[in-house]
Amino acid sequence: MLCTPADHRLSRRRFLGAAGGSALSLGGLATPAVAEKLKKERRQVLFVWLDGGMSQLESWDPKPNTPFGGPFRAIKTAVPGTHISELLPESAKLMKHLAVVRSVSTQDNSHSAGVDRINRGDPKNRGVVYPYFGSAVAKLVGAGDSGLPPYVWVKPLSGGFIYKDSGFLGPKYGALALGDGKPPENLLRPKELSAADDDERNELRKLFDAKYAEQRRREATEANTHAFEMAAQLQRKIELFDLSKLPQKDQDRYGTHDLGRHMLLARRLLEEGVTFVKVTSYGWDTHGDHFNGAASLHPKFDRPFAAIIEDLRDRGMLDNVLVIACAEFGRTPRINGHIGRDHWPEAWSVCMAGRGMRGGVVAGKTNDKGTEVATDPVDIGGLFHTWYKALGIDPADTEFRNGGQPLPIAHEEMKPVKEVLA
Amino acid sequence: MTTQPPKKDTPANAPKELGKPLVPPVQVSRVRFSPDGTLLVAACFDGTVRRWDVSGKEPVELPAITGHNGWVTNVMFMSLPPKIGDKIYSTDSWGRLTASDIDGKQRWTVESAHDGWVRGLAQSPDKAVVATCGKDGIVRLWRAATGKPDIKFKLGSDLLSLAFAPDGTDLFVGDQFGVVHVLNYASGEPVRTIEARELFKLDRIQDVGGVKNLMLSADGKTLFAAGAEPKSGGFVQCVPLLIAFDRSGKRLSQYKGANDNEGYVTDLAWHPDGYVIGTTSGQPGQGKFFFWKPGDAAAFVTGGKHPNCHSVALAPEGDVMAVSATNANSSGNGRVKGTGGDYPANNSPIQLWTVPKA
Repeated sequence: MLCTPADHRLSRRRFLGAAGGSALSLGGLATPAVAEKLKKERRQVLFVWLDGGMSQLESWDPKPNTPFGGPFRAIKTAVPGTHISELLPESAKLMKHLAVVRSVSTQDNSHSAGVDRINRGDPKNRGVVYPYFGSAVAKLVGAGDSGLPPYVWVKPLSGGFIYKDSGFLGPKYGALALGDGKPPENLLRPKELSAADDDERNELRKLFDAKYAEQRRREATEANTHAFEMAAQLQRKIELFDLSKLPQKDQDRYGTHDLGRHMLLARRLLEEGVTFVKVTSYGWDTHGDHFNGAASLHPKFDRPFAAIIEDLRDRGMLDNVLVIACAEFGRTPRINGHIGRDHWPEAWSVCMAGRGMRGGVVAGKTNDKGTEVATDPVDIGGLFHTWYKALGIDPADTEFRNGGQPLPIAHEEMKPVKEVLA
Repeated sequence: MTTQPPKKDTPANAPKELGKPLVPPVQVSRVRFSPDGTLLVAACFDGTVRRWDVSGKEPVELPAITGHNGWVTNVMFMSLPPKIGDKIYSTDSWGRLTASDIDGKQRWTVESAHDGWVRGLAQSPDKAVVATCGKDGIVRLWRAATGKPDIKFKLGSDLLSLAFAPDGTDLFVGDQFGVVHVLNYASGEPVRTIEARELFKLDRIQDVGGVKNLMLSADGKTLFAAGAEPKSGGFVQCVPLLIAFDRSGKRLSQYKGANDNEGYVTDLAWHPDGYVIGTTSGQPGQGKFFFWKPGDAAAFVTGGKHPNCHSVALAPEGDVMAVSATNANSSGNGRVKGTGGDYPANNSPIQLWTVPKA
């Protein structure tokens, strides 16, 4: 075992004084023209994870007035002929920027297996644990010029360094999780500790770290060092987390609930140049009273999702940022006795926008009742191919290396969804 | 007529099943008896109002009322003067309100009575007005005979239920956040609010619960607000909760279910003997009907044949009730196969029961 989660809790004690230990922001060294060019060349991802599973029938693939269609209406979007659920009115206005795959068909109907399988791209089993998409992108694209960790996860509840996401890539490609969008506790140097004392402590720590590393596996010490480096990076960007300084209009547009605040922070992180930002919303597993649940939940996704697409567009960033809204599965067409929808990997939808995507496109379809994929089904491996292509990474030419072992970055028997690629 | 409710649930006085259940091939949101007890109607998830003649030995299905979209969310009867004739009023989740004759012939329709889901439907004591409320946060009154719009009140949040006071003074409207808004029926002016906040919970970012049902006792002295005490969103664990208030909003008593697998109180009926009959949604395989006398600590009858009960209708004499529920094994992850290899929809068995006298 590499280390325990407690070893990676982001607290001041663990982070003290790593200033200078990380790559300096290129933006700080480059001329304005070069900095602007670097910004334009960024490859970034916003990955919105609706944990538990959003219903395709109340979002991207409505089937109104059919046996499993539920109570809601479909509405027109900005793309003639394309309709989505009335619960996503803001996304409907931006449909020309969105690409929806309605023929997603995956393998697991349990959360425990499904979450990992989707996030890791469900490659062929080669006896190794594949990285989550965020870790993979962090490895393949790198940290860029942000001076921040390449993989940042904004989530409710607690934060920390989530090394398990990185799989065989090693802990340094794990996620820095910002619990409730907040920086780690006690991140900043206490006022009573002088900078000189702080530097001295750090030197001592580095010395101890080096001694410790001599007798241990590289992965174990690498993660430890990486955590200190991340802390130092965050210390330099602490103002990022103060959303109260943003215009009230922005806060209203995104919403003051968790998902709204976290999406607004995601925008800030993307603006700052973070390569991969994941935003998680929990509570989408609506087995009971689903339709009232959807009436409450879906608009709380819709508003900040549309707001961030708009903002990325207005800032010229949609050419750089691939946006993905995804979950571990959709929800059953069949409405159960407590008026819920259960888990449904058979035929569901994923929505994307931005870098490498054609806007205003719907690829694949389900049958009239939404119970079967009516075109070629797209498994998560196909979506990984699509996402890598959108980022300019060709899975045919790119491999991971795991101690010399070449490993494909996506399931080699699957293909990208060409209809949604620009 | 006895003034005493039935005694404890015993084989001697427990409700008895009356024949086999009616099994419409779809799920049902509401069941109601006609004022003379000869007709039973069901508001269905396929946009129909199904009708059965229950005056004979065996129920006979009659042509359904069609034309609604999405789900039919409410249905009720109203006795009107002979020259107009009794009517069936129905609403749907796309905003429509329709009045039909007892024989199913549609008399008038307001296609967009609300912007989307119509949650509540009630009739004024003088039979002049039909009231609706909806997810759009609006209460609307309509002339019962013609469908002509009357007054419109905007309250803001999702409105789940409404009921008139029998004396015609007040209109009670229950919202998503556990508040009962008391409006003056004549003017539309807000009079006061009654708090039933424990019927609501914000779980993560999900608004859960609300005042799902409102009902007044026949004498108009007691207001019942019902739903559940939510523990969580998502799966929705909640304990059924029915709170009795006096008209000023003072709490009198409450019925609370045994545990958080019992779900919401989904429907209420007032028995002429002075007690409440309710149904609960329940987790898979659970949900039931209950009889509760205001002031008692517990229900004096609980029961049911099919799980996940969604509505109860009481025949005018109070001797028969209809309970709509859900078929067994209605839930499950992934693809469920029917006997023919198809993908089956669930349905709502409607069981008729005797309601014994004390």
